[in-house]
Amino acid sequence: MKKVLGVALGVLTAIGGFVDMGDLVANAATGARFDMNLAWVVIVGVFGIIVYAEMSGRVAALCGRPVFDLVRERLGARFGMANMLASFFINFLTLTAEIAGVALAISLASSVNYFFIIPVVAVLVWLVCWRMPFQLMERVFGLLGLCLLVFAVAVWKIGPDWNTLFSATAHPHVPGSENVFTYAYFGIALFGAAMTPYEVFFFSSGAVEDGWTKKDLGENKINVLIGFPLGAALSLAIMACAHLVLAPRHIIVEQLSQVALPVASAVGRLGLAIVLIGIFAATFGAALETSLSAGYVVAQYLGWPWGKRGSPREATRFHVVVLMSIAAAALFGLTGVDPVKVTEYSIVLSAAALPLTYFPILVIANDPRYMGPDHTNGRFLNAIATVYLVILVVVAIATIPLMIITKGGS
Amino acid sequence: MVVALALSACTRHQVGPARTFDDYERKSRTTAEDALSSVETVQLLATTAAQGDAFGPYTNVSISEQEDSLADVVGDYGSIQPPDAHADELRAQLDALLSSATDHVAAVRIAARRGTLAGLDQVAAPLAADSDALNAFLESLK
Repeated sequence: MKKVLGVALGVLTAIGGFVDMGDLVANAATGARFDMNLAWVVIVGVFGIIVYAEMSGRVAALCGRPVFDLVRERLGARFGMANMLASFFINFLTLTAEIAGVALAISLASSVNYFFIIPVVAVLVWLVCWRMPFQLMERVFGLLGLCLLVFAVAVWKIGPDWNTLFSATAHPHVPGSENVFTYAYFGIALFGAAMTPYEVFFFSSGAVEDGWTKKDLGENKINVLIGFPLGAALSLAIMACAHLVLAPRHIIVEQLSQVALPVASAVGRLGLAIVLIGIFAATFGAALETSLSAGYVVAQYLGWPWGKRGSPREATRFHVVVLMSIAAAALFGLTGVDPVKVTEYSIVLSAAALPLTYFPILVIANDPRYMGPDHTNGRFLNAIATVYLVILVVVAIATIPLMIITKGGS
Repeated sequence: MVVALALSACTRHQVGPARTFDDYERKSRTTAEDALSSVETVQLLATTAAQGDAFGPYTNVSISEQEDSLADVVGDYGSIQPPDAHADELRAQLDALLSSATDHVAAVRIAARRGTLAGLDQVAAPLAADSDALNAFLESLK
């Protein structure tokens, strides 16, 4: 019974923790601008993250070491360095976006200017990273993130013509008012949001922090195979809300407040309160994950002690990197950058760096020296993973040119 | 270079020069679309708040954000040099629409901050005409 409860809790945490600032913005922006014509990208993206998150969880459970720890050892110092620098920069942008997202959610509930809230959020994020046990931290914010299910309630309350909605989702096309380049650019943004690299760093490092072993491989599969698709369904509900409420009014999503507007309009005050709690939890949880990921990436590459298993004194340099990353992200947020733009660029640049994250996972998951003879990838999984790797490379090559051609999707 | 580009791109509303009428027309279209988005958002916020479906802080902050966004759009558009006399006409036409929308959005923000959420849809009623006018302007550019 205790085991079942643990698995259920893990799945719920995976659903609630799936959505972050990038998913909120990307899904609402594409729903408002492209209706459901890019919903297929969410589905493609979630299958990709399922394939690679399962692999990275398996690597961590069998080796007792996270993927990034093995990258330098298996692929060399230069590749590891390029990987570390790219991942750290994108992670930094994502952390800025998440901290700004938390501040915006509090601002929407309190009317206090979000610039005053950013430093408070930064201190709170650091305190939680410093003091709260890993599993408690993961579960509290993951479960609170389930408040975002109110988007699904909003879709139901709006009462769309379900046949039309499903048909629009199943028959995607480039809308007449858009060109193929902006369609591809927003598709890449959605793909980047679904397959954000920090999710994998955090997932595999978290598996080590949680002390996963071979016995936990089943739980790893269940979390990924059930939790992530349900998290993706939540992303689609956000997109559907924007499609049903914002698109007919020609509203372009440029503020986080607009993401919550369909819920207020359809569900009322209670719905609005719940969605703001959900946004707070999702962005705060992601701020914790990206803060820790900054420390994981640097400490694991440089071979420093890392993690929250021991006391901070045992991993001082790891905690210094976490602290400095939070401080730098908060300062960047305070310069007046547009948080939604930071989010958009972080997910698009994530897409450009995806092969750097996922290629090493595929290599290590096929290496019997790390995985043992019985737990390397099978042929079927390798075939799917290779197809995804090709997609990732194409996406990575196309990202920067598309960003220039579409002037950042404008 | 990518890092520098990415960081600099994260600021609000970058705008480049318009060297030809076509370019100016394209920027006018983008401006009208952005303004229409703000106008429609404020209308929806006002209706939602008037029905008791949104609380004060959310309504105030959201309307202020749209007002700021509209002000940025107006400021950016005003800074673009019209390349010829034809562009001057277009500018005069859109300026009038933006000015009207800005005034009406400000009126909604003032009423919301005074806490008169119940009658906010009445205050926002003139925005319907702004929305129609912006839509007609966009149609005329097609």
